[in-house]
Amino acid sequence: MKISKSPWILHYDGSSCNGCDIEVLASTTPRYDLERFGIINTGDPKHADVFLITGGVNYQNRDVVQQLYAQMPDPKVVVAVGICACDGGVFKDCYNILGGVDKVIPVDVYVPGCAARPESIIDGVVKALAILDKKRERMEQGLAPDEQAWTNTIVRPGSQEKQED
Amino acid sequence: MAFLPYVGMALKNLFSKPATESFPAGEREYTDRYRGHIENDIEKCILCGNCQRNCPSGAIKVSKADFTWEIHPFSCVQCSKCVEVCPVKCLSMVNSFTGIPSRSPARRRQRS
Amino acid sequence: MAVNNNAKKISVVPFGPQHPVLPEPIHLDLVLKDEKVVYALPSIGFVHRGLEKLVEKRDYEQFVLIAERTCGICSFGHGMGYVEAIEKIMNLDIPPRAKFLRTMWAELARMHNHLMWLGLQADAFGFESLFMECWRLREKVLDMLELTTGGRVIFSVNKVGGLRKDVTPEMLEQILHTIDDLEKECRVVTDTFLGDPDVLSRMKGVGVLTPGRAEELGCCGPFLRASGVKRDCRMLGYEAYGELKFEPIVSYDGDCYARCVVRIEELYQSMDLVRQCIAKMPGGDIDVKVKGNPNGEYMVRIEQPRGEALYYVKANGTRFLTRYRNRTPTYANIPGLIETIKGAELADVAMMILTIDPCISCTER
Repeated sequence: MKISKSPWILHYDGSSCNGCDIEVLASTTPRYDLERFGIINTGDPKHADVFLITGGVNYQNRDVVQQLYAQMPDPKVVVAVGICACDGGVFKDCYNILGGVDKVIPVDVYVPGCAARPESIIDGVVKALAILDKKRERMEQGLAPDEQAWTNTIVRPGSQEKQED
Repeated sequence: MAFLPYVGMALKNLFSKPATESFPAGEREYTDRYRGHIENDIEKCILCGNCQRNCPSGAIKVSKADFTWEIHPFSCVQCSKCVEVCPVKCLSMVNSFTGIPSRSPARRRQRS
Repeated sequence: MAVNNNAKKISVVPFGPQHPVLPEPIHLDLVLKDEKVVYALPSIGFVHRGLEKLVEKRDYEQFVLIAERTCGICSFGHGMGYVEAIEKIMNLDIPPRAKFLRTMWAELARMHNHLMWLGLQADAFGFESLFMECWRLREKVLDMLELTTGGRVIFSVNKVGGLRKDVTPEMLEQILHTIDDLEKECRVVTDTFLGDPDVLSRMKGVGVLTPGRAEELGCCGPFLRASGVKRDCRMLGYEAYGELKFEPIVSYDGDCYARCVVRIEELYQSMDLVRQCIAKMPGGDIDVKVKGNPNGEYMVRIEQPRGEALYYVKANGTRFLTRYRNRTPTYANIPGLIETIKGAELADVAMMILTIDPCISCTER
């Protein structure tokens, strides 16, 4: 059974300006139509295979993003949409932004752009589906889905060193 | 009767072309002014660093010692401010994308 | 032992920050008594980036690009408000062509916002095919914006002293054609939405806010105008609005249906304003030369698609500003929202949040 033939998407906005979110929603509308590939925008993390996340991470939604990622069942892929999710974007120097999404969860595909175009988002999702297939094959052989273990580094406010968890 | 307006719309939809663009199967055409990515004609560049100082997100790094100019697409907001402030006009905004980059994607140009 | 049948259970349901119908993260703790909402406690802060402090690190000309990215939907208004405040401090007189072009782009942004809002409201109801149809029509407005400015949601055309890009007469012709076609298709969609019996039964009489209470709570924008108060910042005459003919659109019922009617009528009013702008467009330059640094303070009021927005700028003669403060319309509408949610049923809460057209990233910056 090939899940990548019809993956379900979970979309979350963590401190983004909404430009990329509107483009993610516009990808499901008739002009770009992701639904013809069998993709549905679901709201339930336990139903989803692909996590589309926009915007950077700040001290308040760090736990929310980690909880959503932990609730999704394996195999799963994370696509960071927009430059704010890739590494902080224009807001890198702000006091409340930790950085891109890869500071709190492992990211598989980065889609740059401000705001990212729907065509780029479709390209990113297609690349993510190839990675999803590889992860599922590894799971069927009994291996862990990720090739290298990602150490969970959490940056505590006020301290300069990162603590390994 | 209540269904008559919908009959008109249904017939129109049957015989007109689909509203969906055939991406990724087909090519996508961008308008002339679309802001895609920045290209540098490196032979004209004098490595003055004006673009680096004016970039709002710090995406450009110029190194006079190594004769390199590099741009990090993860930070570029496509505002074209660097194109406006360049004194020799070697930078230009191209209206297409280079595709999804890999993990360390800085685009480097080296001057001879 | 008698069982007390009158004790109804009180339960607290968390709503958000991740919810299928919410495009943005906001958290509400809904205190329910047997399916009816007694009180709602909002908890915001998930989108706070602290961008007002970035004025200390980016000079006043670069900051336009950051102020624009406060919100991707109302982005043209934010850029325009900030730039207007700096121009008033420096006493710059921008050319009339720049004023008319800014007005035209602001009204195009209002059109794409209201079409997007109509689609999301229909989706919160379950009316998914109307959501798809509205967003298909919105793509035509985005094509016009991409043709003239180069971007679909973030435009980057404002600068201190005028505009960065000009528009050719062929582009204006194309805009007029597209608006004529768009108006015919929009009429079909909006008549379907407003005449549907399901929509009427779910929205008429729900979430009523009286005019006195709406003014007391400090609401603004279409939320206030749907309760009968005639207040619209565009009548102040900033940019080219002083030379265009229009009246604010008001409805007197104060319920969810009235808010929908006000926004839909504003969509058609914007189409008319774009036609007036193009007919009166003067020729000439689009910018003036800027010398020196700003020194002083000023406050500007602008009518964003969601309501009245304030922009306060304070400068002290150097390249970096001292303070930039932006009060956005959703921040003023949240107390009104909490008031209308009281007494509603749990299944209606999502729809009622969308009738104020929330833009949380504007609220929290």
